[in-house]
Amino acid sequence: MLEEVTLTIDDVLVKAVKGLSVLDAAIKSGICIPHLCHVPFLSDIGACRLCIVENVGNGKAKITTSCTLRVQEGMVIRANSEKVLKLRKNIAELLVAHAPNSRAIQDIAVRCGVKEVRYPFHNADCVLCGRCVRYCSEMWQANAIGFVGRGKDRHVEYPFGKRPDTCKKCNSCILYCPMSVTPCGEVMKTGEEHLCGKCDSQMTMAEKMPGACVWCETGKSFQCARYA
Amino acid sequence: MPKIKQAGDLETLQRKIRKAQKKFPKTITICGGTGCQASKAGEVIEKIREVIPKQAFGKDVYIRSTGCHGFCEQGPIMVLEPGNILYCHVTTEDIEEIVAKTIRRGEVIERLLYTDPVSGNKKVKEKDIPFYLAQDRRLLNYNRLVDPGNIDDYIAIGGYMALAKTLGSIKPEAVIEEINASGLRGRGGGGFPTGHKWTECREEPVDEKYVICNADEGDPGAYMDRCLLEGNPHLVIEGLLIGAWAVGARQGYIYVRKEYPLAVKNAKFAIEQARKYGLLGENIFGSGFSFDLEVARGGGAFVCGESTALMASVEGKVGEPRPKDIHTAKEGLWNKPTVLNNVETWANVPSIMLNGASWFAAKGTQGSKGTKIFALTGQVKNTGLVEVAMGTSLHNIVFDIGGGSKNGKAIKAVQTGGPSGGCLPASHFQLPVDFDTLSAAGSMMGSGGMVVMDEGTCMVDVAKYFLNFLQDESCGKCVPCRLGVERMLEIVTDITEGRGTAEHINLLEDLAETVGETSLCGLGKTAPNPVLSTLRYFQDEYMAHINEKHCPAGVCKALIQYAVAAEKCNGCGSCKRACPHGAITGEKKQVHVIDFEACRKCGICIGECKPGAIMVN
Repeated sequence: MLEEVTLTIDDVLVKAVKGLSVLDAAIKSGICIPHLCHVPFLSDIGACRLCIVENVGNGKAKITTSCTLRVQEGMVIRANSEKVLKLRKNIAELLVAHAPNSRAIQDIAVRCGVKEVRYPFHNADCVLCGRCVRYCSEMWQANAIGFVGRGKDRHVEYPFGKRPDTCKKCNSCILYCPMSVTPCGEVMKTGEEHLCGKCDSQMTMAEKMPGACVWCETGKSFQCARYA
Repeated sequence: MPKIKQAGDLETLQRKIRKAQKKFPKTITICGGTGCQASKAGEVIEKIREVIPKQAFGKDVYIRSTGCHGFCEQGPIMVLEPGNILYCHVTTEDIEEIVAKTIRRGEVIERLLYTDPVSGNKKVKEKDIPFYLAQDRRLLNYNRLVDPGNIDDYIAIGGYMALAKTLGSIKPEAVIEEINASGLRGRGGGGFPTGHKWTECREEPVDEKYVICNADEGDPGAYMDRCLLEGNPHLVIEGLLIGAWAVGARQGYIYVRKEYPLAVKNAKFAIEQARKYGLLGENIFGSGFSFDLEVARGGGAFVCGESTALMASVEGKVGEPRPKDIHTAKEGLWNKPTVLNNVETWANVPSIMLNGASWFAAKGTQGSKGTKIFALTGQVKNTGLVEVAMGTSLHNIVFDIGGGSKNGKAIKAVQTGGPSGGCLPASHFQLPVDFDTLSAAGSMMGSGGMVVMDEGTCMVDVAKYFLNFLQDESCGKCVPCRLGVERMLEIVTDITEGRGTAEHINLLEDLAETVGETSLCGLGKTAPNPVLSTLRYFQDEYMAHINEKHCPAGVCKALIQYAVAAEKCNGCGSCKRACPHGAITGEKKQVHVIDFEACRKCGICIGECKPGAIMVN
């Protein structure tokens, strides 16, 4: 029999198997915590920081990512407090300003309430979520791609820039890449990037029920763990 | 080399070494730290080792090349005993004279003495120098007594006695209690209570535990840890041994960054020597306690100073931080309980064990006990390493020890804590330096870098410098740090280049909150501090850049113009000849003119102009 713990997420009592992450527990219980780098069967690295929550304890509310936080008995989590929503929106804004040419990222921005982007757009090809890298190494044990470089030079690359034999061209990296989902309209040209906002209409339900997972269509493109 | 098998052996050895040292009536101490080596101390040491044995009295002179004394500005430094005479800026040409006059006849060479820049007086004795007098050198003082390549020097000054006492009569729990009582807090920057960390690690029911010394000091302008490890590696090793005994570790690492080759060399050599004496290895002092140390060398990444990234690097993985929801004291190196402390923290441990917690806690403030070493750099007269009691005011450090402004310009601010810290304005110089006060003021203690800035420094430019540094040094793993810092740098660059708007200030504050709250590791969490603290204390400078498109300090190139002051220009033409862009025109003995279009604002003409006729508007 698996040991279960009870914790509180957004004032709701939630039962979860010990060892589960707070993010998984929330999604299973119908509480929406937007996320990007989390893939249900892969390890979590806490890179995108979208799934941040407040972990309340000892009179303090500590901001941390729910994907890397393990459930504990009596834990109190605020996944959609005003502060968390604001910070999450700012992170989503940074992401969409960096890589607007992805429906997944555009949808995350909409889901997190980004209405305008205050920075000039960079038309980047990769947000370094590391889904491809982890899929390749953890599912296939191939390690055919990895991160190279540091800071703004960090990018995904074959070892020494050459495709190794361990790469079986399985295409999983492309399948799990959020950048491979093109925007609803056409691909935006450099200098013409904008906040798409076409999925705004799907958000009416979510706005009436903040914090609740409404199986929004946007989740499909941002590869919400719900649809996995 | 006989092995030391019990505490009594150590005492015998100490007596023997002291007796041998007493045979030398004269001692020459030369600083061989990195600062002095940069001023060619290496050649001076070589020369003196060559000259002395040729003299008739050569056998009476003991030559000791030590680690950093702290007074790097005056290097190479030489201290002669008897007489405690200090010579500064010693060159190889001075050696013959020093040997002939001072060592042989005890005469003082006026020319080589230190001149106090404040009073203008010459000082003969090392102990009379105001730079040293105003300090409280508990740790640094050892540096001038110890040759880092000679374990005997360290044993002679009472080294490894704390270890003998601890292993002989103090239980691990009592050691931790003593450290707790002393109020020692982590010197690496965060100021986490050391005793708590040790308790957490000790309480883990695991056999395999580790202790690590963090010598990956990367803050611009900071070099305290470097000098401690280079100058007195055995002090750190002794601290690690006591810590390992307290938490129950059998293996330790000293993680040194690649840029510190001398520290790597000295630490490795010290470990070898300690092993030969049986101070590292199996069954130390016959207590049944076994411990060994290794040096792990970093690859040159700033982020590897962060605990989890450092541990990943020791494990041989890419130096990237991981989420720290569970403390490293519980799950650290190879997922085993690990105590990671900074060099200076470890160096404080032996004296606490030897003199007791109350001795240590007698110095300092309510929340921060003991002394702290700072690397005082920037626009002050005396730059170097400074050790003061916690709670000493910034004013004391900058003016009494630092000697005040270097070039007559008023001092505007002090940057503490490196890229994680902030800038405190001169109006806050009465603040006592301790962990909590500095944090409350929007900066932080950090590892101890202290950069003094005068009126010629633009605070927006300082913020830009640190953002640039952080953008390069961020590992790039998490979004807020990688993209957030990049955007902050974009905005601050816009401001310094005259494209700033009033909204930029709000956006910067909003971004700073996001980056600070949501980043994965300490680097990102503290990354906005340079921006936030300059915004808090120097908002008028930001506003001048934004509203008037004017840089008050005359630093931001896009907002300044060079011009020739007609009344000062003597028409010598040196600026015209020096200008690489051909932007200056004028006939001989006529006032010269700068073409604003062609001028690249490189500043070469300012250096060339003798009458000082070139102005920055």
